[in-house]
Amino acid sequence: MKECKKINKDLVAFLYGELLGERQQFVSSHLEECSSCQREIDKLKEVHAGADSLNEDIKAVMASVDWETLPAQITDTVFGKEVQETKESWVLGISRILFQPKLRPVYAALLVGVFLGALFTYILIRPPLQRQDRESLISYPPGFIEKVELEMARRETLDYLKKSQYLILDFVQTSTEAETSTWQRDFASQKVKELLSKKKYINQQLDKFKMAKAKEICNQIEFLIYELAQLSDEIPAWRLQEIHDFIEEKQLLLKIKLLEKELKQSEKSEV
Amino acid sequence: MQGRTSEEKGDVFTLLERIKNDDREAFRELVSLYQKRIFLLAFSFFHNREDAMDIVQETFMRLHQKIHTFREGENFKSWIFQVAKNLCIDHYRKNHSKRKEWGGEQNLEEMNLPSENSDNSHQSLDLKMIFSRCLEKLAERQRMVFVLKHYNQLKYREIAEVLNISPGTVKSLHFKAVQNLRGFISPYLGRVQ
Repeated sequence: MKECKKINKDLVAFLYGELLGERQQFVSSHLEECSSCQREIDKLKEVHAGADSLNEDIKAVMASVDWETLPAQITDTVFGKEVQETKESWVLGISRILFQPKLRPVYAALLVGVFLGALFTYILIRPPLQRQDRESLISYPPGFIEKVELEMARRETLDYLKKSQYLILDFVQTSTEAETSTWQRDFASQKVKELLSKKKYINQQLDKFKMAKAKEICNQIEFLIYELAQLSDEIPAWRLQEIHDFIEEKQLLLKIKLLEKELKQSEKSEV
Repeated sequence: MQGRTSEEKGDVFTLLERIKNDDREAFRELVSLYQKRIFLLAFSFFHNREDAMDIVQETFMRLHQKIHTFREGENFKSWIFQVAKNLCIDHYRKNHSKRKEWGGEQNLEEMNLPSENSDNSHQSLDLKMIFSRCLEKLAERQRMVFVLKHYNQLKYREIAEVLNISPGTVKSLHFKAVQNLRGFISPYLGRVQ
C-alpha cells in the first residue's frame, strides 16, 4: 500500500514516458500486479484521451494556416515596423533634445523677446496719427481751443505793444540827445527785425479775433518801425523831427498804454 | 537523430548571426523553422486561432528586437519558447478579465451536454468542448506545463528551461495538472462515453 502511494505520484510521468529506464520498468511491473494502481492509470488515460480529442481541432487549424506565405508576411511586418520605429525614434530623439525641461526657460525668454521685438517694431513702423485721429483721441470741452488761441493772441499783442513802447521811448530820448547814430545801429540790428516779424505773426491773430482797434494801432506802430529801419547813419534833423511829429500827432505812446490797459482788463473780465 | 539536432543547431546559429546583420532572408528561414511550434504552443494554450496567430507574429517581433541578447551556447528552442510563453501569459492575463466581464467563460454546467440519443459525432464534439473548458480552469503554470508536455511534447528538462524552474517542479506541476483535469472531467465522462 505504501509502495502504491509512491507509485501513484509517478503515474503521470510514467504515462508520458518521463521516468528513467529502471523506474519505468518497475512501475510497469507493479501495474501488472496491482489492480488499484491499474484503475488509477486507466483514469489518467481517460484524461490523456480527453486531451487527445483536441488534436483533431489542432490539426484542422494547423492545416488552415498558409505556412508558405506566413514567414514572408511576418518578415515584412517585422522589418517594416523596424524602419518605422527607426524613423519614429529619430523624430522622438530630436523632439526630446528640443523639448527637454532645462531648455524651457530659454524658450520662455525667446518668446518674451519675440513679443517685445514685435511690439517695438509695430510702434516704430506704424503710420503716424493724423491730426483728426489725434483730435479724436483727446476730447476738449467746446470752445476751449478758441479761448486758448484768443488768450495767446492777446498776450502776443501785449508783448508786441510793450516792446514797441520801449523802442519808441528809446528813440524819443536818444534822438533828442544827439546820439542818433549810436542808437540807430543798435536799433536796426536788434529790435526792428524782431518787431517786424512779430507783427506779421500777430496780424493773423488780430484778423481772426476781429481786434480792429488793436490792429489799427499796431499798423501805425509798424509804419513807424519801417521809418526807423530806413534811417541811415547821417540822419538829417528835419527827418528826425518828422518822426517825432508823427509820434506826437498820432499819440502813439498814449494809444499803446490805453490798448495795453484795455487788453489786460478784458483778460481779467474773462477769467 | 542526435546528428540531425546538432546540424539544426548549427543552422540556427548561422541564421541568428545573419539576422544580427539584418539579413531578411535568414529571418524568413528562421520563421519557417519555428512558426508551427510557436503556433502549436499558442493554440493549445488559447484554443483560438487569432490569438495564436497574434502570438506567432509577436514572438518573432520580440525575437528580432532581442536577438542581440541571445548568447551562443544557449538553447535557442527553449529561448524562443520562453519568449512565446511569456507573451501567452501576458495575453492571457490581459484578456482573461475581459472575457470574464463579457461572460465568455461558460460554466461546464451551462454547456449543452449530449443526451442519450445523441450520435457519436456530437459526443465527440462535446468531449472536446468539455476538455477545452477544463483546460481553461487550470492554474496558469499547470496549464502551461500540460500544454508544453502534451501538445508540444517537450521533455520535463526542456519545459524546466522554458519556464525557468527545476525539472522536479515541472514533474510536480504536471502531476497536479493531470489530477485536476481528472477531477474536472470525471463527472462528465460517463455521460459522453
